[in-house]
Amino acid sequence: MALRRHGLEHRAFLYSGVENFLSTTVPFLIKGLEADDAVVAVVRRPNLDALRDVLGSDGDVGFYDSAEFYDHPVRTLKRYLELVDSMRPRRVVALAEPVWHWTDQRQTLEWARYESLINEVFADSGARALCPYDRNGLSSAVLDFARHTHPVLFDGRIDHENDRYMDPQVFGAGCDVGRRFEVRPDTAEYMAFHDEDLHPLRVFVGKHAEAHGLDRQQAQNLVTAANEVAANALQHGVPPMGVWVWRDGDELVCEVGDNGFWQPSPLIGFIPPESARERGFGLWTVRLLVDLMELRAGWDGTFVRLHVSR
Amino acid sequence: MDDLLESLWSVERPVSELRPGDHAWLCYETPEEQSLVTVPFVDEGLALGHRVICLAERVGGPVPGLGWPPAGGPAPRVVALADLPGPVGPAVALEALAKEIMLAEEQGCPVVRVTADMTWALRAPGGLEELLACERQLEGEVGPSTTVMAVCQFDRRRCGAEELPRLFATHSVRVVPDPVFDDPVLRIAWTFRPRGLALAGELDASRHTRLDEALCRVMEAGHGDVHLNMSGLRFIDLGALNLLAERAAERPAAVSSLVLDRIPAQLFSVVERVGWHMLPGLRLGHPA
Repeated sequence: MALRRHGLEHRAFLYSGVENFLSTTVPFLIKGLEADDAVVAVVRRPNLDALRDVLGSDGDVGFYDSAEFYDHPVRTLKRYLELVDSMRPRRVVALAEPVWHWTDQRQTLEWARYESLINEVFADSGARALCPYDRNGLSSAVLDFARHTHPVLFDGRIDHENDRYMDPQVFGAGCDVGRRFEVRPDTAEYMAFHDEDLHPLRVFVGKHAEAHGLDRQQAQNLVTAANEVAANALQHGVPPMGVWVWRDGDELVCEVGDNGFWQPSPLIGFIPPESARERGFGLWTVRLLVDLMELRAGWDGTFVRLHVSR
Repeated sequence: MDDLLESLWSVERPVSELRPGDHAWLCYETPEEQSLVTVPFVDEGLALGHRVICLAERVGGPVPGLGWPPAGGPAPRVVALADLPGPVGPAVALEALAKEIMLAEEQGCPVVRVTADMTWALRAPGGLEELLACERQLEGEVGPSTTVMAVCQFDRRRCGAEELPRLFATHSVRVVPDPVFDDPVLRIAWTFRPRGLALAGELDASRHTRLDEALCRVMEAGHGDVHLNMSGLRFIDLGALNLLAERAAERPAAVSSLVLDRIPAQLFSVVERVGWHMLPGLRLGHPA
């Protein structure tokens, strides 16, 4: 196929109403079934129910509710990757409709980044993905993201090569530049660290996690993530180094900073490694363990901010 | 009898913490397990100027758990079974050891260390009953002593399943090898059933080297799976998971795996989130 790139087909389909949605998605899924591909439909309600009515729930299509599947960009990416791996050598055909109901602009941005990363992570997977975007219900900003993150737009009849598509590296860098990194509040508590024995840091973060009301697992995850970021700072950063913790509504925010200037690839920690032996395993796991990880490198140092909501 | 039962019914002491009055039980699975107790027990005694008495087949021959005597330097005194008036049973051997102990005490030795591998004594007719009587006598005499400590060794592979618990019951202390590493944050101990290491405390970058050294020692020491008992671990960092995956990858998974046993729930959940496929060569063993 002329428009298929790198062995991945990643198309956005901007639809208007359920009828229009079904008129494209049903043939797309049936074509996958006919080719004996592994076919999944991860869509929002009520589209999910409408699709089930047409295709039947007990057929060969795997149905998932987007509200559950799209819970966390890095985890969702991992889930798709596991799906593709488990289906080999069959090709995966996915109808993939993310949720865009986030009130926090940071989350919307992270999901846009996720859509962009699909192009990189699944480049050689041979998968076919069609991503429906509700033209009437979604903001123009989200629809713009769709145009920046899908190499091909499908209008319901034919494919269009998308000249507004951006390379994932470029798009990811833009996400980082566009992010507002709010100033730490005066109430933030600080602790410096100096050497590899990070026990005091773990106690400090763990104590705040408990006081904030995170459950034990969330606390353990945050402590593991903060420990990893601090260990990275010790290995690659420049003193002074320290950790700040503060509350922001339901969120507990934990920031590790050092005085070095680190300019990593905008994709760092987003691309799942093959195994724990690969570089990038640590940062990828950090992203997996917390709700959101933000990285800022500037004249005043390198700062990694971890967010966890109770 | 398994390790758990043994640990419930006796005082467990690492070999370097044995003290006068200890009549200790060492039931070893492999020569390595045996020598990890006997070698430091004897060497430390010699270094401290204690009288060290070992039961062996003959003078100048190999000593159980120690091997051939070194040329030169301080050496333990050997009570040779070959020199005793036959037929030699446990009672005769005990009498000969008792004579050496008395001699040492008369000579003013502050501490007397005795080691004897008694597995042989079980194979003679009526050996178990005679041995039990000797062990009871020894327990009665060493227990109140302020000078004598003894390590009685038995080869688990050559003892009957019914014999072991009865013999074990005549000892008040169970001796184990010293931990591979031990500080206020992390403890790494040997395990032999299954073969591997027990980790307790917190594991972060400051102790990766220690873990790596221990892991390499245990992996080089034998074939087959290596088990890590993680029940006492409160924290493991991602770097340590990376290290375990590195070491596991050095051996073909078909030959052996690194098996993670008894992972505490919260650490287990971190590993689950990462995914086992990220950790090739690592396998989940016994649940928590």
